[in-house]
Amino acid sequence: MPSIKLHPQSSSPAKTSSPANNPLPPLLQTPTGLALLELQGTINVPTTEHDPADIYKPQSTDDTPAFETPLGKLMFPDYSAHTPNDSAWMKRAYLYVGRYQRMTGEVKKLPRPIAVLRKRSEAEGEELEVVEIVRYKLFFKNRPEPVNDV
Amino acid sequence: MSTQEAQSILLTHSHPQQSFRLLELSPELEQLLSSKDAPAEQFPHLFVGSTNTTSFELKSPSAALAQAVADPSAPEYVNLCTQTQTYRILQVQSSNSIHMLQPSLGHISRADIKVVEEEAGETGALNLPDKAMTTIAKCASTLGLHTPSGGFSAIPFLEKSLRLYDRRSDDDDADDGDVAMGDTSCGGQMGLLEVQRLREGVCADIPVSTAQCEDGWTELCAFVHREQDEVACCRPSARTRLNVWKRMVEGAILQGIDLEKQFLVGDLWKSVLDDDDTSALPFPRNLLEAVVRRLCALDQRPPLADEMKWASFDKLDCTRWVGETYLAATAPTPSSAIGRNEFLRAWKDCLPESWRGEAALSKLTDGAYKSPDPTAIHFVEASQRQQTSKAASAGSTTASNAKVTRNWHELLKSRR
Repeated sequence: MPSIKLHPQSSSPAKTSSPANNPLPPLLQTPTGLALLELQGTINVPTTEHDPADIYKPQSTDDTPAFETPLGKLMFPDYSAHTPNDSAWMKRAYLYVGRYQRMTGEVKKLPRPIAVLRKRSEAEGEELEVVEIVRYKLFFKNRPEPVNDV
Repeated sequence: MSTQEAQSILLTHSHPQQSFRLLELSPELEQLLSSKDAPAEQFPHLFVGSTNTTSFELKSPSAALAQAVADPSAPEYVNLCTQTQTYRILQVQSSNSIHMLQPSLGHISRADIKVVEEEAGETGALNLPDKAMTTIAKCASTLGLHTPSGGFSAIPFLEKSLRLYDRRSDDDDADDGDVAMGDTSCGGQMGLLEVQRLREGVCADIPVSTAQCEDGWTELCAFVHREQDEVACCRPSARTRLNVWKRMVEGAILQGIDLEKQFLVGDLWKSVLDDDDTSALPFPRNLLEAVVRRLCALDQRPPLADEMKWASFDKLDCTRWVGETYLAATAPTPSSAIGRNEFLRAWKDCLPESWRGEAALSKLTDGAYKSPDPTAIHFVEASQRQQTSKAASAGSTTASNAKVTRNWHELLKSRR
């Protein structure tokens, strides 16, 4: 099967989440709510027996209830909703890991926009679609530093 | 602490995770992929004859073609094809991990929040759950796009997948006559749609864009040939193409057709047919149309899906094509090199009288011929030409590749 179709972003309105409950600064918000976070290092989460090893496994199946594990907090210390055009806040972002460690990073414009591709679930055979085009990322390139609980 | 004032957003990890692929886009692809309207509406000229709005495909060669047309730089690859362009997809590994975030759906156990905030519940420092983002996927690598300096061509693939058609029209074998009869009865009935279907079948296995496939198809003068019950996509040999050309020039002179001005392809076909013996065709009409299409001036070529009704030849391009075809037919290798003067004379003899002055070695494509000694000349296949030019620029391309991909291994490879 030498050919796989790639569908452009559909024109139908995004249904994943509305921007109203997206807590990120508007610059990082996308119609579908997807955003990119790049870390030096990985997030280790205890594996469960349902862990999807196959990257093409369809999203949340009914037999494994979805749950979220808190990791930490994101903060944009210099961001203010009152000066939305000022981009100086992008230079600093914090990612608290647990309560006592903090990573310092920034918001970066991507040199080239990135298309987020996903396997189309309703299609027979293999088809991909562009779900979002992302232009900025949250980038934490430094190691965590110890901090007091905030 | 000043950060106390700042808005904090709870970050969680979702289970189960989803799967995404990240693809770095070039500006023109970004425009095509993000356009909210279907691309077919926005760029109608790119989608002639196609009602399908899906204009992007990830293509890799069929197993047989991948072996026949091996790419030394990548044993296995996938190309992203738009209607007109082709990009090689490269996997860019990164030691950093990239996570996809999405606003939380709120499946958080409040007891767990203590991990990050001791008194979250009481102080309200975190307004849960609408002030939370969650990681829904991890991407170990991104995909980058790359176009090699030579670009992409369907020709090497088409040469392997099309059947070579090599037949002398002056072979007066009895069975050849039968074949010709088959052409009159069936060839004419073969609809344009069927031809298009067959061509698309060939192109489906070729990992370049449709437009590039069609360009290669035209360049090779490929045609669909029906012989008795067998239908095949063929490419004529240089000798066959030269033969078609000679018959066309003879016929045009006899019938007074000026090839530089617009003429009816049907008239040219009639002029090629033998007056006395209408039952024997010198070659299939589809082959004549394929050669006419190749030689037709670029701005007059109809889309490949449409019938070739009118045509007019471009003198310069046509002269070059005849010279190279003659050389490919008579002196394809260094060992079969012919004398230069002999070649120039024969080349001129193939051209209409008024074009004779156009034939000169400088008119041939760069690298299309080589001279083993000052008086001899032989043809160089297009695939061999590319190899020599590739070797010359190899050093600089690896360095620029590395810049494009930002891949350290690539970048350092040339310095070792």
